[in-house]
Amino acid sequence: MKSIHWQNALKSPELSSLVILGVITVLFVIGNGEFLSPLNISNLLAFLPELGIIALAMTLLLTAGEFDLSVGAVFALCPVMVALLVQNTGMDFALALLLGFAACVAIGFLNGILVTKVGISSFLVTLSMLLIVRGAALYITQGFPLKSLEIEHVLVTLLSGDFRAGPFRFYASFWWFIGLTLLAIYVLDYSKLGNWISAIGSNRSAAVARGVPADAVKIGLFIATSVLAGLAGTISALRISAASPVAGTGYELEVIAMVVVGGTALNGGRGTVLGTLVGIFLLRVIRNGIVLVGVPGLAYNIFVGAIILAMLVLHALLQKNTRRT
Amino acid sequence: MAEDVLRLDNLTKSFGNVHALVNASLTLREGEVVALLGDNGAGKSTLIKTISGVHRIDSGQISVRGRPVTIRSPRDAIELGIETIHQDTSLAPDLSIARNLFLGREPVLFGFLGVFAPLDLGELKRSASALLKRVGISKKLDADAPVRTLSGGERQSIAISRAMQFSAKVIILDEPTNNLGVEETHGVLRFVKEVRDAGHSVLFITHNIHHVFQVADRIFVMRRGEVTAELVVAETDLLTVESIITGADMSELMGGARHK
Ligand SMILES: Nc1ncnc2c1ncn2[C@@H]1O[C@H](COP(=O)(O)OP(=O)(O)OP(=O)(O)O)[C@@H](O)[C@H]1O
Ligand SMILES: [Mg+2]
Repeated sequence: MKSIHWQNALKSPELSSLVILGVITVLFVIGNGEFLSPLNISNLLAFLPELGIIALAMTLLLTAGEFDLSVGAVFALCPVMVALLVQNTGMDFALALLLGFAACVAIGFLNGILVTKVGISSFLVTLSMLLIVRGAALYITQGFPLKSLEIEHVLVTLLSGDFRAGPFRFYASFWWFIGLTLLAIYVLDYSKLGNWISAIGSNRSAAVARGVPADAVKIGLFIATSVLAGLAGTISALRISAASPVAGTGYELEVIAMVVVGGTALNGGRGTVLGTLVGIFLLRVIRNGIVLVGVPGLAYNIFVGAIILAMLVLHALLQKNTRRT
Repeated sequence: MAEDVLRLDNLTKSFGNVHALVNASLTLREGEVVALLGDNGAGKSTLIKTISGVHRIDSGQISVRGRPVTIRSPRDAIELGIETIHQDTSLAPDLSIARNLFLGREPVLFGFLGVFAPLDLGELKRSASALLKRVGISKKLDADAPVRTLSGGERQSIAISRAMQFSAKVIILDEPTNNLGVEETHGVLRFVKEVRDAGHSVLFITHNIHHVFQVADRIFVMRRGEVTAELVVAETDLLTVESIITGADMSELMGGARHK
């Protein structure tokens, strides 16, 4: 009985991804001892939450059956807006941040309305939104990054302050990430809303027939995704004291890869936040480790792509064996 | 005479230039089973979708217990005590049986948290098991199993037991015996009788006239969006019903020699 449980558990995408994460980590450690050095781990943990926060939101959105390609552009636009408002108009940081988030809400709302009420696929809507938002970020900055973003504000410390624990350096974003991960797990697996999200992605008309407000839920998720992308972008910009209009280029696909590698279904209905957590670590570890073991920088996307593909093949094979048992 | 639980007067519904409903009227009394018959495309599913809030009527009047109502959404219908099992099945395959049974009416703790309220997982599991036992399919099914892993007949039984649980006044079944085996079909028919005996009203769409004669009290027949006939089961026979459905000339049928 026990061993059967174990077999089933290993077939779950979360766990098989976790096993692969372990194997890859061991390989990198063997390849270069520096991989586990405090400096490298600190770097990994500084960068990881910024994509991770977006991936959490994307997990819920994908579970509801939609996705958002505009997150990378929103990641750039929000901090660029905040920086311009603070530097050019002398606006208070808190107010500027609020306006930045308001813009994210508007973007998410527009995505949601166009997808649910007008009935255009989320691929087309958010692809167009990507171009609009990225274009806006480039235009308002005239293409130049806004440097020396050194602002004194308690909110700045809350978003990007750092502290040392022995040889390790932690950023505030790490705690944001942990908090948001717990929240995402709670919402998706334990709340009424999570039940609705899964039901909508699994069979929308069935959910609607039970009185579930599917459109409102989806619009809300699009808004949450945009706002978290804006938050992640702001955290990132404050950490490096610069807001670049081209920040976050390509993040949309990286984030979707994290979520899907973790075992969330691309066509909705089945989402796992824990799986996404594994996916986030997996992609970050691969990107980080591949450099350390000496793969030439220009070649490393080949490896990243190949590993993602291998993971998906594995999930597909496991799925095949477990369907309707 | 029992009261009209549900009354439809001259319902009209068009999709572009397809007139799916043309002045359709019918009544459903307390504690009776009414069968809704008609050929493919006659408008049966459309009619019940207007009652269950999937489609809004263009004109006409729906009344529940003598009171005119407006049904704008599935939620309105559910709150009026109308539960529907649609033809194109109404379960979410990725959710567990228990979560499907309570979809849209989840038991929660700390209800003031609204949609963010935590599900009462213990209560969910308990009520789901109790319900499965009541429908008589508890021995085979685990309430935590995803619906994806069930057979078509098992899914149908789950959908039906969901309609039972909140003691709806009106239960609407759109071709519930489709794709079911012999035993499951009998299960559904038995369920329809039980529900009626418990005082609920059932509107039952089917293409199987034998089933109608086993469980229904009255019959309405639809043709091209209209309700063309109302019959009392005790006062009619299979042949008559069949001919009305196809619209064949009755006198010709009666006169000519016809083999069964
Ligand atoms: N959403 C829709 N959009 C356009 N036309 C529709 C729609 N729903 C139904 N119709 C049309 O309305 C007519 C009635 O369809 P309906 O589904 O009510 O038939 P039915 O009596 O349930 O048939 P069946 O026995 O095959 O289930 C058909 O001509 C159908 O094509
Ligand atoms: Mg039909």
